[in-house]
Amino acid sequence: MDGDESKAPPSVGTVTAAKAIATTQRSRARRRLRELRPLLWFVPVLVLLLTVTLYPTVFVVWMSFQKTRYYDLAGFVGFANYVDTLSSRAFWETTYTSLAYMAGSLVLSLGLGVLAALVLNSLKRGGAVLRVLTLFPWTLSMAVVGTMWLWLFNPSYGPISYYLRKVGVAPGLMLGDPELALWLTVLVTSWWSFPYAMVIITAAIQSIPTELYEAVSIDGGSWRAKFRYVTFPHLVPTLGSTALTLGILYLTLITLLIVLTGGGPIGATTTLSFEVFRGTVQAVNIGPIAVYSIAILLANVGLGVLYMRLTGRVTG
Amino acid sequence: MRAANRKLRDQATLLMLAALVVGSALGPMLWAISTSLKNEVNAVSAIPSLIPSPATLSNYLSVFSHKTFLIELWNSILYAAGAVVIALAVGIPAGYAASRYAFPGKRVVMLLILATSMVPGVALLVPTFYLLDHLGLLNNRLVLVVILASRIAPQTVWFMQNFIDAVPLEIDEAAHMDGASRRQILTRVVLPLIRPGIAAVGVIGAITTWNDYITIAVFAPDTAKRTLQVALVNQVFDAVGISWSFTMAFALIASLPVILMFLLVQKWFIAGLTAGAVKG
Repeated sequence: MDGDESKAPPSVGTVTAAKAIATTQRSRARRRLRELRPLLWFVPVLVLLLTVTLYPTVFVVWMSFQKTRYYDLAGFVGFANYVDTLSSRAFWETTYTSLAYMAGSLVLSLGLGVLAALVLNSLKRGGAVLRVLTLFPWTLSMAVVGTMWLWLFNPSYGPISYYLRKVGVAPGLMLGDPELALWLTVLVTSWWSFPYAMVIITAAIQSIPTELYEAVSIDGGSWRAKFRYVTFPHLVPTLGSTALTLGILYLTLITLLIVLTGGGPIGATTTLSFEVFRGTVQAVNIGPIAVYSIAILLANVGLGVLYMRLTGRVTG
Repeated sequence: MRAANRKLRDQATLLMLAALVVGSALGPMLWAISTSLKNEVNAVSAIPSLIPSPATLSNYLSVFSHKTFLIELWNSILYAAGAVVIALAVGIPAGYAASRYAFPGKRVVMLLILATSMVPGVALLVPTFYLLDHLGLLNNRLVLVVILASRIAPQTVWFMQNFIDAVPLEIDEAAHMDGASRRQILTRVVLPLIRPGIAAVGVIGAITTWNDYITIAVFAPDTAKRTLQVALVNQVFDAVGISWSFTMAFALIASLPVILMFLLVQKWFIAGLTAGAVKG
């Protein structure tokens, strides 16, 4: 193919020149194409992600500008869904529940995570094995975790209510109590996720140079001083990034709520994500649910970008 | 003497705290195991006891002989295996190219993969349900597998990229000199070297997929398409007819593959959690 020029009759110089230009253009295009050839390796994953993830993401934005009846789109309505949703009490109450749930779970799971990491890391031997055992809850599905705790919290036959009665506290309805349900859900969420925090914090503790502890020892500092002046300052960035990872998880978590409370009692545990699930399966009017979805999406992307800024890494 | 005493006391406190940590993680699981070994009457006795007496395996036998158990188990295995195979099939070439090539647009491609990983499954529930419903693709096993694969695809690409980064480029070059094509270099030379990594990514992906409830529950309302996780949650919904000893046995059986897989790759699992999470 590259031999075209030589075959051209020399008498028609202009044609040859034009041909030559066309050929160099063609070969440049071909070179460019060859440079792009590695892109082919990405085609399968891009096709998958574009159709299954990106297309629905764009579509939910489109939906949010549509008037909807059940699962039917009935025409463009501009920002009406946004105005309706953002001016409704339910949206802000749900947002507040999400934030309270996230904050409570973060405080408890990070606190327990730090404690577990410090304790198991201080053991002379066996720490690694005990860490693997402690990590078990994290591998369980939310459906299993929810079912186990639903049974533990059972107001009639569960061991927790039994021992509460034994020490003279009326257990009440436990998860059926609107005042209590969110906090019991926080407790279960933390039981499930503190092992994750523990593993990450352990890695951070193990990366602290031992000379720093020795320096405190020489100055006569106690373990408290060591924690205050060496361990804690070193953990702060890790705590920040772990809080973001877990925050994203808590924000988007649904299954545990479905099993434990079903969003109730009387909406006490209805988070933004739970509302999206409820709205999807009930499908009475999905326009506002699209707005909820976008709110979660934006919050998620915001936290994810913050995580990348903080760590220079991508979330797993 | 006093210093020695204090050291002993500190040691004892530490051991107690360690027992408390491990105990609080495993306690609820022990209670589930205990309940699963009780008969239905003892499970709801007025005085709950951790030791089942009499202990019985009848709940486990009932789970195995339950009429829909086998199909649910089969679906769970099928979806997890299918999703992992697809994720690896699309993730390995992408990870290889991400590690070995520099080309115009690579940044855009990697950013696109990153961006999709930031879209939470929740935000996709409504639009995906709408699209599947209108295309008549609800309750479709292949569609479920593809959706589950898309959730683990980004992490598969990154893991593969990291594993292949660790393989020296000279190995590629040597194979190239011997006349191997790019595809042969990947399949015959690089992949065998990162086999343990592939196994770990596969197992971690399988755990994620096996544990999924929401994707299957929403996009496959048909009970013949549901998994063990969905079946478990449906038992809980039936608050009156529930047998807690049966449900606990069911939950434990549904968790056993996950725990075994976790133990199999726990070093990788932990390495995967901490990769890049620590900033010194």
